Amino acid sequence: MQVNLNINKKQYSLDLVGNETLLEILRDRLSMTGTKTACQETECGTCTVMINGKAVLSCITLAANVQGDQITTIEGLAEGDVLHPVQQAFIDHGSVQCGFCIPGMIMSSVALLQKNPEPTQEEVEYALDGNICRCAGYPKIFDAVKEAGKKMKK
Amino acid sequence: MGLTAKKSKFEDQYVDPVGKSVPRLEGKGIVTGQLKYAFDVSFPNMLVGKMLRSPHAHAKILSIDTSKAEALPGVKAVVTARDTHQIKFGSNEYFFPHTVDQMALEADKVRYIGDELAAVAAVDEETADQALRLIDVKYEVLPGVFEIEEAIKPGAPQIHEALNNIALILPVNFNNPERMMKEADYVREDKFWCPVAHPSPMEPHVCVGQWETFTNKITLWSSSQAPFKCREALAKTLKMDLNDVRVIKMAVGGGFGGKLEMLPMDFAACLLSKKAGGLPVKICLTREEEFTTTRRKHGMIYRVKTGVKKDGTILAMMGDVFADGGAYCSYGPTVLAAAMMRIFMVYKIQHFKMTGYRVYTNNPISGAMRGFGGVQSGFAIESHMDLIAKDLGMDPVEFRLKNITGPNMVTVNKMILTTNGLRECIDKALKASDWANKRGKMKHLKKGIGIGIAADVMGSKMYKSHESAGAIVKVEEDGSVYFFTGAADTGQGSNTALSQIAAQELGVSFSRIKCKAGDTEITPFDTGSFASRVTFISGNAALLGARDAKRQILDVVAKEYKMSIEDLDIKAEKVIIKKEGRSLMSFDKALELCYSFNYGKQIIGRGSYNPKTTPVDFRSGEGNVSGSYGFEAQIAEVEVDTDTGEVKVLELWDAHDIGKAINPQSCEAQIEGSLAMGLGYTFYEDLRFKNGRVLNANFAGYRVPRAIGIPKMNTIMVETDDPEGPFGAKGMGEAALLPTSAAIANAVEDAIGVRIKELPITPEKIIKALKEKAVEKS
Repeated sequence: MQVNLNINKKQYSLDLVGNETLLEILRDRLSMTGTKTACQETECGTCTVMINGKAVLSCITLAANVQGDQITTIEGLAEGDVLHPVQQAFIDHGSVQCGFCIPGMIMSSVALLQKNPEPTQEEVEYALDGNICRCAGYPKIFDAVKEAGKKMKK
Repeated sequence: MGLTAKKSKFEDQYVDPVGKSVPRLEGKGIVTGQLKYAFDVSFPNMLVGKMLRSPHAHAKILSIDTSKAEALPGVKAVVTARDTHQIKFGSNEYFFPHTVDQMALEADKVRYIGDELAAVAAVDEETADQALRLIDVKYEVLPGVFEIEEAIKPGAPQIHEALNNIALILPVNFNNPERMMKEADYVREDKFWCPVAHPSPMEPHVCVGQWETFTNKITLWSSSQAPFKCREALAKTLKMDLNDVRVIKMAVGGGFGGKLEMLPMDFAACLLSKKAGGLPVKICLTREEEFTTTRRKHGMIYRVKTGVKKDGTILAMMGDVFADGGAYCSYGPTVLAAAMMRIFMVYKIQHFKMTGYRVYTNNPISGAMRGFGGVQSGFAIESHMDLIAKDLGMDPVEFRLKNITGPNMVTVNKMILTTNGLRECIDKALKASDWANKRGKMKHLKKGIGIGIAADVMGSKMYKSHESAGAIVKVEEDGSVYFFTGAADTGQGSNTALSQIAAQELGVSFSRIKCKAGDTEITPFDTGSFASRVTFISGNAALLGARDAKRQILDVVAKEYKMSIEDLDIKAEKVIIKKEGRSLMSFDKALELCYSFNYGKQIIGRGSYNPKTTPVDFRSGEGNVSGSYGFEAQIAEVEVDTDTGEVKVLELWDAHDIGKAINPQSCEAQIEGSLAMGLGYTFYEDLRFKNGRVLNANFAGYRVPRAIGIPKMNTIMVETDDPEGPFGAKGMGEAALLPTSAAIANAVEDAIGVRIKELPITPEKIIKALKEKAVEKS
């Protein structure tokens, strides 16, 4: 089947069997390997992308089901050379260690902050609870999210 | 040659980078998704590889028929033990050659559910999966043995040749503990259970293997945290020369000890590629395979008995440790040794006898995981210490202070402790946590506070006779610098920290440095990322490499100006005349001179560092394993809900003797990560088994720390300026994981008066302990 996907504000026309997940399409068909996965069974949050502004797990999203939706991946956040405030804050606060969870973590953070740029600690924790980071103790991630929110509000 | 040059394009705010929180070199790559992991490696015509694994915990392999799989369209290669040299591999070959016991593809027998006996490569995943199903294996199922106590009984099923399934008995023995126990005023014995945890890094094990069939060269793109060790094992088992095998470490999505060894998948990817005519083969473990077939933390029964004087002085300690090793030895012997010998770094004990038993079972393979035996011993010993103090009616801190090691001393097993910030760590942690006003004073609130202390090595020479690291510092004509290190950054930030050390010693801005790391063909040898060794050992190599490059530059400058090289130095981007403190020229100008018509001198500095240690005598436990030692004190404050049994950690304080913080932000991040992992091990990380099958092989069943419930973490850096460390630095991070479980268990007792000796601390165990206490009282 012919499927048109809007990814990072670009149109992609793809010939699909129909059972491909969005994750597979991004990584294997479009070579957009910024989106990672650590379990492929919805338990780790690593494959998180945004669909119409909501954080969504690409490992259980059928590509054929998201035609006409605005899909944003980690590759679509920076504006030219300028990093998104969340990306910059993750660097500034030393929130990245191995980095494998970070694309998903950032997508969940952006989805939160676009709706709620001044989240409480509890709101940050709830928004990120689905994203496992095995390296960090999370505090530096919390700090980055809160600071980025302030910048996004401006 | 101008004396005052214009500011270099390289000059940045990190002119003296050591001690500054320089952002991670990989930061932008990480946050944009551009950083390439082995998981992301892809080539045209790349094949998908899969491992055939035993469904039985223990069975003889009678026959393997691969003909149907080979005939399936799309299958490009199938390999079994018949295609291999059947050479065994292991990780403690140098000290314990008889524990080298695993074959990449087993030929005669399988010993755990998941044991590898064949592999396939096909054009896609579906075909590869189908091919696995078409391989016909005839087994003779053997009785399995899954518990330590069962495995060591005479007549238990034999897993290897080892008598009573004991792969190794390790004695640690000094002086006369039996006599001192008799002289002691008080003797206490405790038994602890330390469960099985799993490293479970977010990136599963991934590799891409390619065997150039005509030139006979192998390349493995890998998620390894020890690429040179992986190369060595591949070369040995495939009968190749070291320089025929290239292991390229990509960005690694976490390791935590689990990625220290070559796995059968690495071997199979190369062999499959050879059979498929040289096409690259990618093998990526599923999360379930990651949990069930990679290395796990040893479950340990830890029994310890201590004799003390009335005043709290420890006279003697005795005990035994039984470790569930699973099907193969892996790093087990040295994990077991570390679980018994770490105590000498922490407490002054003269009379000691402990025996370790590493037991084969038909469970998955135990090996290295962050903490390396120290998480288990940390929980046991630090819980035990609190219990002794309580019996003596002593404050647990006072009891510890009476017995801890100090600076400039030699331990009973001949470890040489030079700088030792343990006392300072304890003092600072007590102060920061307001211990004096909290300990024993919050019971009415069901709150408590507890302490645990620990120490760690900076490397250990456990896998080879030497533990050298090398560095090359190559300065280009424009003053930009290549820094080559064999060290494997697995996310801890070693590329950044080592580059900071190189830049500082060379006397230049951080932004001049490009780090090339962990490629066995182009970077110098390094044993890998483990035992908190990288900052200390690879850092010293970086320092020496930069010093050598600097000497070469100054040699040219001295010749040109007819000065003595001893009078010159490079500091903060300038060549300076030391006595006058005056700048002679900029670094850029000095490089112009080196690469000028008259000199044409290439600047290639080399560094090689091997820590000053002595080999451990594993008949007694004697030996100075590390070039320096790091120390640690940790305090936990908890609140217990006695209705539900839930323990909430309110705050953690961690004071860490790190010598010198090369990158304070990274140091903090390392400590916070260790604390989180310690929380996980204390409360829920518990890989469970039934008849050798993992019951919770996913992130839903095996819970790891998540964003909700992370307490406030306070990190305190104690800088003891180690004379042997690069700029005074020691290795750090791992130690912060060691005392966490005990600090929390001790805090729980302070809060509600019950003691948990079997991890994890679950609400069920708390409720049960409270009920038992109530019965005792009545």
